[in-house]
Amino acid sequence: MIDNLDYPVQLIQPNGARVCRPEFDRLITDIGPDELLSLYRDLVVSRRIDTEAVALQRQGEIGLWAPMLGQEAAQVGSARALAPDDFAFTSYREHAVAYCRGVPPELLTTMWRGISHSGWDPEQFNVTNPAIVVGSQGLHATGYALGAHLDGAEIATIAYFGDGATSQGDIAEAMGFAASFRVGVVFFCQNNQWAISEPVSLQSRTPISHRAIGYGIPAIRVDGNDVLAVLAVTRSALNRAREGSGPTFIEAITCRMGPHTTSDDPSRYRADTDMSEWRSRDPLERMRLFLGRRDLLGENELSTIAAAADDVAAGLRRATIALADPPPSALFDHVYAEAHPLIDVEREEHRAYLRSMEGASS
Amino acid sequence: MSTGHEFRLPDLGEGLTSADLVEWTVGVGDTVELNQVLAQVETAKALVELPSPYVGVVRELLVEPGTTVPVGTPIIRIEEPADSPSPSDSQSPSVLVGYGPAAERPSRRRNRITPHSQTAASTERRPATPSARRAAREAGIDLSEITGSGFDGAVTAADVADALRVKAASNEAPRPAGSGIQKQPVSSGMRKQMASAMVASTRAPQASVFLTADVTPSMELLGRLRPSDAFTGLSLTPLTLAAKALVTAISSHPMVNAHWDEARGDAVIDDHVNLGIAVASERGLSVPNIKSAETLSLVQLARAVTELTVAARAGVTDVHHLTGGTVTITNVGVFGVDGGIPLLNPGEAVILCLGTVSERPWVIERKIEARSVATLTLTFDHRILDGEQAARFLSFVAQMLADPDLLLSHL
Amino acid sequence: MTVMNLVTALNTGLRRALEDDRRVVIMGEDVGRLGGVFRVTDALQKDFGDTRVIDMPLAESGIVGTAFGLALRGYRPVCEIQFDGFVYPAFDQIVSQVAKIHYRTRGAASAPLTIRIPSGGGIGAVEHHSESPEAYFAHTAGLRVVYPSNPIDGFHMIRQSIAADDPVIFLEPKRRYWDTADVNTDAAPELPLHRARVARSGNDATVVAYGSMVATALDAARIAEEEGHDLEVVDLRSLSPIDFDTIEASVNKTGRLVVVHEAPSFLGVGAEIAAHVAEHCFYQLESPILRVTGFDIPYPPAKLERFHLPDADRILAALDRTLAA
Repeated sequence: MIDNLDYPVQLIQPNGARVCRPEFDRLITDIGPDELLSLYRDLVVSRRIDTEAVALQRQGEIGLWAPMLGQEAAQVGSARALAPDDFAFTSYREHAVAYCRGVPPELLTTMWRGISHSGWDPEQFNVTNPAIVVGSQGLHATGYALGAHLDGAEIATIAYFGDGATSQGDIAEAMGFAASFRVGVVFFCQNNQWAISEPVSLQSRTPISHRAIGYGIPAIRVDGNDVLAVLAVTRSALNRAREGSGPTFIEAITCRMGPHTTSDDPSRYRADTDMSEWRSRDPLERMRLFLGRRDLLGENELSTIAAAADDVAAGLRRATIALADPPPSALFDHVYAEAHPLIDVEREEHRAYLRSMEGASS
Repeated sequence: MSTGHEFRLPDLGEGLTSADLVEWTVGVGDTVELNQVLAQVETAKALVELPSPYVGVVRELLVEPGTTVPVGTPIIRIEEPADSPSPSDSQSPSVLVGYGPAAERPSRRRNRITPHSQTAASTERRPATPSARRAAREAGIDLSEITGSGFDGAVTAADVADALRVKAASNEAPRPAGSGIQKQPVSSGMRKQMASAMVASTRAPQASVFLTADVTPSMELLGRLRPSDAFTGLSLTPLTLAAKALVTAISSHPMVNAHWDEARGDAVIDDHVNLGIAVASERGLSVPNIKSAETLSLVQLARAVTELTVAARAGVTDVHHLTGGTVTITNVGVFGVDGGIPLLNPGEAVILCLGTVSERPWVIERKIEARSVATLTLTFDHRILDGEQAARFLSFVAQMLADPDLLLSHL
Repeated sequence: MTVMNLVTALNTGLRRALEDDRRVVIMGEDVGRLGGVFRVTDALQKDFGDTRVIDMPLAESGIVGTAFGLALRGYRPVCEIQFDGFVYPAFDQIVSQVAKIHYRTRGAASAPLTIRIPSGGGIGAVEHHSESPEAYFAHTAGLRVVYPSNPIDGFHMIRQSIAADDPVIFLEPKRRYWDTADVNTDAAPELPLHRARVARSGNDATVVAYGSMVATALDAARIAEEEGHDLEVVDLRSLSPIDFDTIEASVNKTGRLVVVHEAPSFLGVGAEIAAHVAEHCFYQLESPILRVTGFDIPYPPAKLERFHLPDADRILAALDRTLAA
């Protein structure tokens, strides 16, 4: 098993130079020029979705957004490694994962606009809706993987969470249980250095991947801003999961370049100068330089990709603004799977109340 | 024709109510692109850049830098070119998702149910049951005019019904011209109860026997017993002895302690003698009963009678004592009346009535002497007892009062 | 006297608590350098240091459990749970340990924790940020539960809660964080911690409310006044214990009661008040006790919350019903 705890796996350096690592290169032999361009395009488009969503929040079209700026490679690289039947559990920041899984961009903002608590049916895209409670999805992924195992399905389950989540009891339990039952789940931790204002050093005194070892889960650290390395490492872990070798823990080292959410002000706890190091490791810039070195990114390609990003952003904007408000009766829909007398009573009372208000003057 | 859109300040951070406009980064007449930064604002949480939602030309800056702006306030007007699709109608009511806690909907007057015209809230509220309040309100009676017979003097629905009956009666009776005096209706639940009990009583076919006896030995016995320690603080009267005699007599005449069972079509003898004592008070008639009176000594019986009488007069008889009686004794003698023909307490086989004890001329061994004489009347349910049984029973009771030694030997 | 909002009032109260008693420590996620996501602990770490205002790892159960341990060691921890919807991982530590320790040890040990929880909706938030968990805690013996509605109460009640020897769940109406009032921070508190306050005097009906709904009830009362009805509004302030004396005196005066809260009605705080008043003021009631509450559904998405939360109209509709009955 490949495991490299202290030196994160890297296949592309920040300056775009390729690093040869045979044990990982063999996992991406199918990634030719088209695939590389496609990866880059996903990076660009997902960043554009993210920045457009932030703008929409500033314009009052959505109430909140958790920007993933800086984490594109960690999300695109891992999501692109997934097979169609694999299932992904996410936190609230995996917009690029949802996008790569095929969720139409216009469904990405439904929840943030307050229309409903979820934008899509998870089974349709094999990815969950954004989950607000930190860490709960780890156990869900373990359970799902256990179910797949009991079904005899050869799929992998992946759980996305951040460094902060690893302090939650639920994640500890998820790892312990996954190891106990030897289920096919990939724990994908994006260590983006921050949990709102708390630096990762508060959550852990060791590299986070070391925790997994304690549970008997093989772990690997990867440069989360290197989309190729993430792709390779995730493929390896997913293969293990599918073939029945049990869980793997991936710690993708990246950085949350933006605020925790649009309500946050990072200037209160980190200096802009601290970020310059990370800016030099920007995942899109890195890939652009890499493709440039290989003459894969001409004017044509650049403009096509830019147009695609504009297109997606415009579509996202249009669709978000056009989202219809739910009717008041939606309050009472789907509280239970089966009819419930209290809900029926309250639904009717509310209906009668609204009728009584019709035509009332101010 | 181009349109001007107003951009209203959104809630930028989950419940903010305002923001300070720090500075504009565009000026009037500038052409702006979608998402171009228009201004910097400071919220309670952060310094935030506002990107333009519109493409077009800035027509008006609506807020001065340095001002605190409530969420929802238009801050800038931008005119879009004629051919651009307008992204959103600036007049739509809730463009803003996080519309801010301050922007509560203006209240709409609902289509109101006109409340009942109420009597002005009095400073002193009468306690009343909810059913009484409704009844009083519907009938238009003021609660303060009604005496309450419920817990803690609360007005009950029955009290309201009584008040209504009296009111109706007084309304019907033609008042003599010039009388001008309205009698206060004195109604009570107790009267109503008495009335319904008396009506129920008539269901039983009743007959009465009476007997006048020389009870001088009993009076002498009472005179001797009263000062003794055992009876300190207790009321010891002819009624007490008569009650004791009645209860004692029942042990050899069990049929007297029975009730008529309609379903069976027969009498059913009750196990215990729950002796009812008719008590008159300001509030009306009540008949609390002493449970298992056959087990009580004269002292205990005296105590029980005393306590029940006091409680009944105060209106605080325990409900337990107001039900389950099996025989009743009533003393009209205290009012100076020679005797009476009592009506049965519904469900009972007999009721004994004691008349006044007075000095009367009496024949003893052919000579006339002054003796203490009283008349006893027994009304009985003729389905349960016949005339002979009733007569023998009454005779036995009277004998024990005429000769208390007999009472003693039957204890 | 200074005009300040609820956030500043709480901040000032916390500062005083830190000054008055060196056993007081503040702990929570992002409370230190950031000063809290609502800035309630702003500048406190800067002035008191990181051993008095402690940034905690991301684990609510860990925060409360650690605080409990600190309390056993003689400290007076003030925990912050960042949002109401995140208190549930800590629920076990709260009800199984914090609530029970005094009883378990027959008074030998106690847990004088204050657990601050920004609560309630009306801020257009995403899931888990608008919950009303107060009934779970009020239902748990061993805990005291309080809920200020305004800056003045915020300032005094946070200090009283920290000074209390029992654990206090201190709910903060985040929707009202930015409401302002004139606060005299040198004055002594006018009311004991668990006393209710008649926020508005009236004769026609009693409206009992707490947290963010007090302002809503007062709005309703203003409108009712224009319509010729005189409402008495009682700010409950304390949910465990509940000041029934104040409520009873009010209902005995008006004969009508409407209870308002955001939390769902089924088994909510209003149910307890209704049961108590029905028993103790039965003969004074003119009409049935009514409750105006959130529905018995999970808290809805932001676009629907205005239908879910009681507003002045719904309170007035209940007033109509109670006057007509």
